[in-house]
Amino acid sequence: MSELPPGATAALKSAALKAGAAVCGIADARAFDEHAPPRHRPADLLPGARSVVVVGGAQPRAGDWAATSRAVLETMGTTERIQSVGRRLAQLIESELGYYALFVPPGTASGDTPFLSLMLAAELAGVGSRSLAGPVLNSEHGFLYWSAVITTAPLEVDGREVEAACPAPACREMWEREATTPCLEVCPASRGGCLDGRLESGRAVRTFYDAPRCHTRVHTHWIGGFQKVLEEALNEPDKDKRKMLLYGDFFTRTLWAVTYSSTNVAQCFECMRVCPAAHGKKELH
Amino acid sequence: MGIFRLDPETYRRHKDDVLRLCNSFQRIDRRGLSDAEIAVELGLPERVVTEIRCVAERDCYPLDEWEKAIEFKDQACREWAALALKRPDLKRGPDG
Amino acid sequence: MARGPEGPAALAGVRRAPYAPDVATPAASATREESIKAVGLEAGARVVGIATVEAFRERVPEGYRPDDILPGARSVVVAGGDGPTAGAWRCPDHRVMEITGYDLRENVAVHAMCDHIERAYRHHAIQAPSLPVHGHAPPMSMMLAAELAGLGTRSFAAHIILNPEYGLLYYAALITTLPLAPDPPLDRPACPHPGCVAMYKRIGTTPCLRVCPACLSGTVKDGAIATSTYDRERCHSRAQTYGIGSFQKALHEIVNEDDPARRRTMIYSDFFTKSLEALGFYRDSIAQCFECMRVCPVGRKHRKLR
Repeated sequence: MSELPPGATAALKSAALKAGAAVCGIADARAFDEHAPPRHRPADLLPGARSVVVVGGAQPRAGDWAATSRAVLETMGTTERIQSVGRRLAQLIESELGYYALFVPPGTASGDTPFLSLMLAAELAGVGSRSLAGPVLNSEHGFLYWSAVITTAPLEVDGREVEAACPAPACREMWEREATTPCLEVCPASRGGCLDGRLESGRAVRTFYDAPRCHTRVHTHWIGGFQKVLEEALNEPDKDKRKMLLYGDFFTRTLWAVTYSSTNVAQCFECMRVCPAAHGKKELH
Repeated sequence: MGIFRLDPETYRRHKDDVLRLCNSFQRIDRRGLSDAEIAVELGLPERVVTEIRCVAERDCYPLDEWEKAIEFKDQACREWAALALKRPDLKRGPDG
Repeated sequence: MARGPEGPAALAGVRRAPYAPDVATPAASATREESIKAVGLEAGARVVGIATVEAFRERVPEGYRPDDILPGARSVVVAGGDGPTAGAWRCPDHRVMEITGYDLRENVAVHAMCDHIERAYRHHAIQAPSLPVHGHAPPMSMMLAAELAGLGTRSFAAHIILNPEYGLLYYAALITTLPLAPDPPLDRPACPHPGCVAMYKRIGTTPCLRVCPACLSGTVKDGAIATSTYDRERCHSRAQTYGIGSFQKALHEIVNEDDPARRRTMIYSDFFTKSLEALGFYRDSIAQCFECMRVCPVGRKHRKLR
């Protein structure tokens, strides 16, 4: 017999959507064990964890993708909007259902290692699947930002997505013709980019992702850039040249981005810009 | 002219007194003095007191203390979890 | 099910704040104090209390009083908001709570109440500035505001204001020219908890004093705090391990390092990188040490869930 009141899971999902999520799914906490290394599983963060609630949303709007200025997506990012939904759900689970809930911090434990893979959580919660380019895509809405809450509440879990968004039909056709896809073509590892991969029978059978290079693109003007310029400035013996570094466009822009991290935390979208599956199924004028 | 800069000698001479009088080391039965009040007490301009206090707050402990903070929190949190959740495995062993 | 006390409570403004996206209109028959508090609670505050500006006078130096900030100020309304969830407290990895962040509902509540006061009562209302402006000193003490508004009392643990029902809360306040009936300060301190008094009798210490003797010291007499000291500067290295202070400390060492190779390892170190991240995501890293509060029994019943 469930320890939860009837309809609790549905009510939680409804609250998530009302709070602004585009999708909400539930994963079994134990399902992570097969895929995630020790110390990065739900029960490592919340002992006794039974479910992981995953919400996706806050994606760039259709107008954002259509904008011809890079500055729109680079500086007016919306990722933080889904974090507040996650936090609210954690508080709701505790106040309404009386079970422990831990909002998974979107930052990292150290370096680039997250506490819990939000991408894996989205897959296991049935709200998305991995793409050739890397991001987890939802079959209805495309590219979404994710937030997760680990809880001891025994919520009803969702199965994984049956039909993956990637590769999209147009990409399968392109592969047949040209042995590449839009994302692999716009950012190819063989020509200084981040991505490589291979389709067979309409499915991705190999992917390659150069994370450190991608970092220089997604976080061009951020912590790494700050550190690089700092090092250069300190190594520069000429005072005037040092000034040029510290007052220059790159460092100034970087400082703005660090200060406004919440909207500047993602600064490259080129693989998603060209992806036919990333922008959702709604058509606008 | 540049921004206001504190003379290191002035700082050295007065930092201990400023730290003692301000809110850095608190007692529940009395409040720390404001910069203006400390300035009157020590016969210094208020701006100088503010600057001494800001530098002294940061200078009070060496960077080692931050490393000790990391170790303290790791140990205290794990020990509590081990005890409260009845999970002795959560404590770090001698190898970390 | 974890709920606060329903209905009127002995404590000012204490009631369960429903987490609803829709804000209910306050009842027409409510007093203006009730009306303002209802707006704050609906906006997500856990508790709301009121203090007069006069109450600050004798305990606050000139320049830091509410009417130094808003001329003509008569009242201060204080909102207390939740910190980490009960689930977060149970995580054995302290780094999770270091960057778990908050939704800072108490600030949302303050803004909602400010809007309400200016619209409904045509009086000035501002959010009280609480961020440090010179070193660690804020323009106005939220801790004192919470005490004077009857929302809590000072504790051994870093002199944190503990609400007797909920324990650790985060406080924000508004200052207004609207005269309001104040809530009295609590007559019974939240700290020390009876369990801590008993522990002190047995072994001469309390849970918080024992877990963090580096920052805290104190004595209990006749069931009350007799003496209490708090080393704020050491606490800073714990509560803000990664932030402005650590950035300054590390940068100082970096610029003083002559060897470029060693300098490089310092610039790209985990410590400096996390310090920079904490600057960028300050809201996520507001508080980074919870050890004195983790062992504190006040409000702990609200952290016992299923």
